[in-house]
Amino acid sequence: MVSRRVDQALADDKQLIQCLLAGDQRAFDTFFNAYFARVYRFALPRLNGDAEAAQEVVLSALTKAMRKLPDFRGDSALFTWICQICRHEVVDHIRARRRTRHVVLIDDQPDLRQAIESIEAPEEYDLVKNYGRAETGRLVRVVLDRLPSAYGDALEWKYVEGESVEVIGERLGIGTTAAQSLLARARIAFREALEKVFGAEAADIASSLEA
Amino acid sequence: MNDEDIERVLKSAGPRERPPLEIERKVRGQLRAEWLAMVADKRRDRRRQAFFALAAGVLAAAIGVWIAAPRLGGSADPFATITLAAGEVRVDSGWFSAWRDVAPGQTLAVGQVLKTGSSGRGALALPGGVSARLDHDTRLNITGAEELTLVRGALYVDAEPAASAASRLDVSTPSGSVRHVGTQYEIRLLGDGVRLRVREGRVEWHARTGGFEQSGSGEQLMIAGDGTVERRPMPVYGEDWDWAAATAPGIEIEGLPLSRFLSWAGRELGREIAYATPATAVDAAGVVVHGSIAGLTPAQALDAVLATTRMHAVPADGRIIVGSDRPAPRPTDVTP
Repeated sequence: MVSRRVDQALADDKQLIQCLLAGDQRAFDTFFNAYFARVYRFALPRLNGDAEAAQEVVLSALTKAMRKLPDFRGDSALFTWICQICRHEVVDHIRARRRTRHVVLIDDQPDLRQAIESIEAPEEYDLVKNYGRAETGRLVRVVLDRLPSAYGDALEWKYVEGESVEVIGERLGIGTTAAQSLLARARIAFREALEKVFGAEAADIASSLEA
Repeated sequence: MNDEDIERVLKSAGPRERPPLEIERKVRGQLRAEWLAMVADKRRDRRRQAFFALAAGVLAAAIGVWIAAPRLGGSADPFATITLAAGEVRVDSGWFSAWRDVAPGQTLAVGQVLKTGSSGRGALALPGGVSARLDHDTRLNITGAEELTLVRGALYVDAEPAASAASRLDVSTPSGSVRHVGTQYEIRLLGDGVRLRVREGRVEWHARTGGFEQSGSGEQLMIAGDGTVERRPMPVYGEDWDWAAATAPGIEIEGLPLSRFLSWAGRELGREIAYATPATAVDAAGVVVHGSIAGLTPAQALDAVLATTRMHAVPADGRIIVGSDRPAPRPTDVTP
């Protein structure tokens, strides 16, 4: 069981960055817990599943992101910004090593990438496409990763792992009432994100996954 | 609003992949070390900024301090000498200075900080004939006349046994410190742990938590962040040591007996020199070498020097077998 305490004081990206640059250990832990696994999942399929390469690329991307944090303007979500850095690191890694095959995912196609990145910075978007079941499932998980990390974790714990709200509140360190409220916000954000990326409602996506 | 469809979507999509715990542990540790170094740099920068703000009021005095400070910081108490700076190798002298490139021959004092970039490597000559070599992405604080602090990366220390009594040197890390007892060893920070590899002699590990370990030639200690220690044997030669050989301070070979040169090369390569026959050993002692091996690694120097003799060298496990190509020549002079 993975547990992660959300420090409310650090929930906001800008405040997190300030505390991180000031040398606050809690901020480092929050930053790492919020982004490491998501960036790893971003890099791994683009490196053809090479875990060793993903380790190198993610370390390099997070290190560069940390060094560039003072330049982060907040035009996009912090995760989107880190993913852009990671995308460059993947290309650099493949150029340098020439042993890992570069995989172009469907979510790297310009229209879909725009939709996924627009989850944090909404733009006009209308995409209706049918993907295979496995690819649809992967895209759902990509969408989950694009939500604020506490949203993605809470939804997964609740609906995939079947945890109670009390346990989720405990794992996030925010109490039951706050966990209920967070889950409600997470569901709305997830539903909207699904519709942006798939151009379809959650019920239709569920049906295509269950088919 | 129906949440059942959300549940169906998530259950059908399945859980997101979790990165392996070992990878998470390694990346966390290495990223934390980078972060601590970055924070330290920023604090240093802030102190500098505060100084300059103050200096605006007393400009003339500040300019005097600014001009004098690097000289004061850089040569007040010379302690170490740069013997090699390949790629990005920079030094920070303290409050009033910025990172500056270093060059061979430059002296360093207690209080200065040395760092190498991702393609940089450097080497220092310390009192007592000790050589300290920095691998890529390393940061080293010159903490005292007998203490270096490894903040990031890896350090190789070479203290010849003959010089060990007069060359005490402690290398500190966040989790403990190493003291050599006449040795060649490498210490590398890996996340929140330390890897210690002893090539020759013996070292003592003093953990911050009070633990104490000893390690000898051909042994590797992995000291985890929680203080647990794992020992395993390891070869004292081979590619793991290539970076240390590449940063070895060269020797002056002009007028040196070939046998002395071979001993030096063998030690840098972690292999014992063995002569194929007693006569070859006698010949090697009688041959005098001329010229220079500046800029060559020990392996390159070995090839270059032996090419001018009638001898050849063949690596075999932990040894380099030196043999004669032809009937031994009369002891003579050779020039690479």
